[in-house]
Amino acid sequence: MRFSTHQIALIALLASLVACGAEERAIDTAGDEESLPTVYAVNYPLAYFAERIAGNTVEVVFPAPEDVDPAMWVPDVDTVARFQRADLVLLNGAGYAAWIQRVTLSQSRLVVTSAAFADRLIPVEDEVTHSHGPAGDHSHEGKAFTTWLDPEFAIEQARAVLGALLRLHPENESEYRERLATLEQDLRELDRELKDVSARIGDRRLLFSHPVYQYFERRYSLNGQSLHWEPGEMPDEVLWRELSGILSAHPANWMVWEGMPHPEAVSRLEGLGIRSVVFQPAGNRTESGDYMSVMQENLRALQQAFPTSAR
Amino acid sequence: MRDVLYLAWRYLVYHRLKTVILVTSITLIVYLPVGLNVVVEQSGEHLTARAEATPLLVGAKGSPLELALNSLYFSPDYPELIDYSEATAVIDSGLATAIPLYVRFRSRSQPIVGTSLDYFEFHELAFASGRPMAVLGECVVGAAVAEALGVEVGDAVTSSPETVFDLAGVYPLRMRIAGVLEKAFTSDDDAIFVDVKTAWIIQGLGHGHQDLARPEAAASVLDRSEDNIVANAALLQYNEITADNADSFHFHGDLAGYPLTAVIAVPNDEKAGVILRGRYTHDETMSQIVRPVTVIDELLDTILTIQQFIVAAVVIVGLATIATAALVFMLSLRLRRREIDTMLKIGGSRPRVASILVAEIAIVIILSCVLATLITLLTWRFGPGVIESVVLS
Repeated sequence: MRFSTHQIALIALLASLVACGAEERAIDTAGDEESLPTVYAVNYPLAYFAERIAGNTVEVVFPAPEDVDPAMWVPDVDTVARFQRADLVLLNGAGYAAWIQRVTLSQSRLVVTSAAFADRLIPVEDEVTHSHGPAGDHSHEGKAFTTWLDPEFAIEQARAVLGALLRLHPENESEYRERLATLEQDLRELDRELKDVSARIGDRRLLFSHPVYQYFERRYSLNGQSLHWEPGEMPDEVLWRELSGILSAHPANWMVWEGMPHPEAVSRLEGLGIRSVVFQPAGNRTESGDYMSVMQENLRALQQAFPTSAR
Repeated sequence: MRDVLYLAWRYLVYHRLKTVILVTSITLIVYLPVGLNVVVEQSGEHLTARAEATPLLVGAKGSPLELALNSLYFSPDYPELIDYSEATAVIDSGLATAIPLYVRFRSRSQPIVGTSLDYFEFHELAFASGRPMAVLGECVVGAAVAEALGVEVGDAVTSSPETVFDLAGVYPLRMRIAGVLEKAFTSDDDAIFVDVKTAWIIQGLGHGHQDLARPEAAASVLDRSEDNIVANAALLQYNEITADNADSFHFHGDLAGYPLTAVIAVPNDEKAGVILRGRYTHDETMSQIVRPVTVIDELLDTILTIQQFIVAAVVIVGLATIATAALVFMLSLRLRRREIDTMLKIGGSRPRVASILVAEIAIVIILSCVLATLITLLTWRFGPGVIESVVLS
């Protein structure tokens, strides 16, 4: 079969038209993907709640690098610009991620997820006040911000996330509510099991490596004292002397760590009769697993540390 | 006909002083009512367009006009202040979006507008270059500001102190320009936009300074106890927010109590707007909610009443001027008796001579009308701006 020059030109034209159509469809599809609303979160628990509730109907972005504490992380200007373009920005509130105060974000897109329990936040006051100029004495007081470690608060925060997501996708209400119910169930189950463990801990004195467990302590009535120890580092002698002072008034046998402690620190603590257990606040993503799996891991660690026959 | 026009023109040129006085008088009489009308109508349209684009304003109880003029046109007189919590109250109502406004400070003569990102979206302001402000200490300038100051992205503008002699008061803040807006032909062109928190820093409500616990600040410490440090006025406070010192900037107390001049409330729909207005009407709080378009309409009504009085006065003066001009022509005919006789004796017909006299009058009237039209066109181009600045000052 032979084609004339005209026929070849016609086929080429048709082929290019088909290709153009395919390309346009591809662009349209890409456009659809791009048109997914973006939800930025300042910590991993909020990102996790948004992902659980919204599924793939929104693009959830938690831009903090994995090796930093999102509470202390400060994004660069480009990242702030991406926050500015987001359809929703999920804030933890309680002064978490202080950089929020130093950037410009659209008020209408900010969601303070702890607003519903703002009156129940735990105040943390800077011990040193200072004064300069006519403003008088003042201290940089704040609130404890690891709110999600109280599962009741975590549920309230997840509900706030739901409310915000419904503003973006009101048509998905029943689906979202269903997923929130499942999430709430998971958190309630975790709460119940943590209550069991805390009952076994009772009024035993504990040490916490960092002052981030305030809501956890209050929820489960734990008798703890917080230090300022970094999990991966061997504390210096000043910190050890400080610990000795604390132990004289607060003789504890267990230290709860934010992350895997330095082996030398663990063995020196054991020498003092203090054993170590890891309970990760999960403010940031972990290498494997998700928020619930980290919490389950925390729960198992506590269950092993304080078995049923512990009391 | 040309010869008639030529003779009439030569006569007017020869008696140029008389001609200039006549043309000026008639020009003014034609221009005044027409020009005034153009100015009032255009200013009205300009003012109303801006007011119509802003559905509701929440501000302190007091003069609604002061609130509207400050919020819409950034007039230097600012209304009583309200708390930032008013903005969150509007958001919490779920009826409207709230855009905070703090229009109190200036950089030379340009107003500094403390607001949020929603302002740009709400007024559909496009960027000619750069981006919106992202961090404290950054600003976005209007097209006219960029042109007047000759600044662009990366340059800086500095806030002016409220009072020159307040040496212990707020120091000027140097703000980096992050973006320049495209011309919008509104008061936004003449403004410098900052985050409302940056405006609070200009006021001194938020500040950055040396860490008092660090050795570098030792010279500024007057007294140090276990739980309190007192510093003297020599403590280094930063007057520019940079990447190095940004972390030291902080606010004391609850931001909910920080000041605003107004909140733009953008209702979700008409019904939400009515409900929101109802809440403020029935609430005995210290704030009010106003529809800017109503406030500006009232202002325009006042201006229109004044305009009507002026037009009436101009009409009376106009009649007097026409009578005077007629008298001038009649008297000049008497004075020109011999000249007219001469023209008749050298062969000029009576109609011919009459047409020369009519042509003289026609040329004066046409010249006056052309001049009046030119001045009206100039008024049309520049008048509203002048009137607006007069009204706003």
